[in-house]
Amino acid sequence: MPTVKLSFSSAVWAVLVKDTVCESRTRYAVGILVMFGLTSLSSVSMAVAGAALSPEFAAALLWVVLFFCAMAGLARVFVQEHETGTLLGLRLYAPGQAVFYGKLLFNQILLAGLSCLIVPLFIVFLNVNINEWVLFTLILALGDAGIAAVSTLTAAMVIYAQAKQAIFTVLTFPVFLPQFLSAIYATAKVLSGSAPAMEELVFMFGYDAAVVAAGVLLFDYLWQE
Amino acid sequence: MNRKVIAVVIAIWIAGVMYAVFNLVPPVEGLGNLVRLAFFHIPVAWVSVLAFLVSAVTAGQYLRTRQLKYDWVSASSAKLGLLFCLLATVSGAVFAKLTWGAYWNWDPRQTTIFILFLLYGAYLALRSAIEEEERRAAVAAVYALLAFLTVPFLVFIIPRMYFSLHPEPVLNSVGKIDMEPVMLYVLLAALAGCTALFGLLLSSSVAGKTIPSGKGMDE
Repeated sequence: MPTVKLSFSSAVWAVLVKDTVCESRTRYAVGILVMFGLTSLSSVSMAVAGAALSPEFAAALLWVVLFFCAMAGLARVFVQEHETGTLLGLRLYAPGQAVFYGKLLFNQILLAGLSCLIVPLFIVFLNVNINEWVLFTLILALGDAGIAAVSTLTAAMVIYAQAKQAIFTVLTFPVFLPQFLSAIYATAKVLSGSAPAMEELVFMFGYDAAVVAAGVLLFDYLWQE
Repeated sequence: MNRKVIAVVIAIWIAGVMYAVFNLVPPVEGLGNLVRLAFFHIPVAWVSVLAFLVSAVTAGQYLRTRQLKYDWVSASSAKLGLLFCLLATVSGAVFAKLTWGAYWNWDPRQTTIFILFLLYGAYLALRSAIEEEERRAAVAAVYALLAFLTVPFLVFIIPRMYFSLHPEPVLNSVGKIDMEPVMLYVLLAALAGCTALFGLLLSSSVAGKTIPSGKGMDE
């Protein structure tokens, strides 16, 4: 047993690096996210086949695609620990909060990468115009942070459940709904050329902060044996 | 034994409320006799929200004390809540069809009750997917609390997204100023009756769980 006591930030960092190394060996989550993103976006694009989309409709499509792509890959952070039998080791070596933050950051990075893939394709396939890039990126970042925070918690809930993947989506959607609706609302405004009100962005930020705070408070109850 | 007496009292009470709804409540201007449906719809909607609250509070109690009795209350309350939520949604949709012309149009109230329905459904699906009792209790409790956290956000966001036709919580947006006292009293009586019914169903459902497992409530 190593006796070196890691500081909190280096414990978080260690969890993040461990997950990244594991992922770089199998490329399971990245592969699934990329292919799921491509499949869902192209199916949407083919289905509407060049029809002019209203900003509201385009915004809704973007977030539906992003959400369901995220659902395909983000449960991995905890499910994979269970499948490979490393859950107990992680429990022994890392404090619960460090695991939560590490996995949250990992999911956050995955989602940011996914967005970098989806958004350009979205613009190309669906022919939308974005003038306010700063605002658009901000909304995307806030929405992604919401998905990552909720799904890190729900992923920890489905570790011992049957039909993990399906139940993961079912659990995440209603909790994510407030952010989902406001992200669509704000994105639609940006796509139609106007700027969303400041309080909408504050609301989105508040939601992210509240879910992360809930995660900090509740995660230990999920993590303790 | 005791529960039977209470059940009889509640049954008589509800019968009395039904008599009042059909005989004492006057038809309302604009809604006519349809207003009588509200005396069913409002109480069941109220109980579905109350059940959600009870479920979240007992979930918190479970996490604090780790006594399984709180988990049973939380789960039973969620199950009953789902049932009442369904009744509220269906009666609301019928009411909407008769007054607005469509069963469903994503009115804020309809959206809210539907999200409540999704949350209850997800909670119960989660419970049925985990076999180990203590693990299920802890995970379900965390989910109940997480779900409860989103409620204030929904209250803020949903009215901004959709336009509402729904009457104000205290019915009678039609004859707003002169809600007749008799309607108010009957409504309060109906709310009390429905809440008592919920309490009775909850306690008998929790009691039903304690007997077969052989563990007392006070373990």
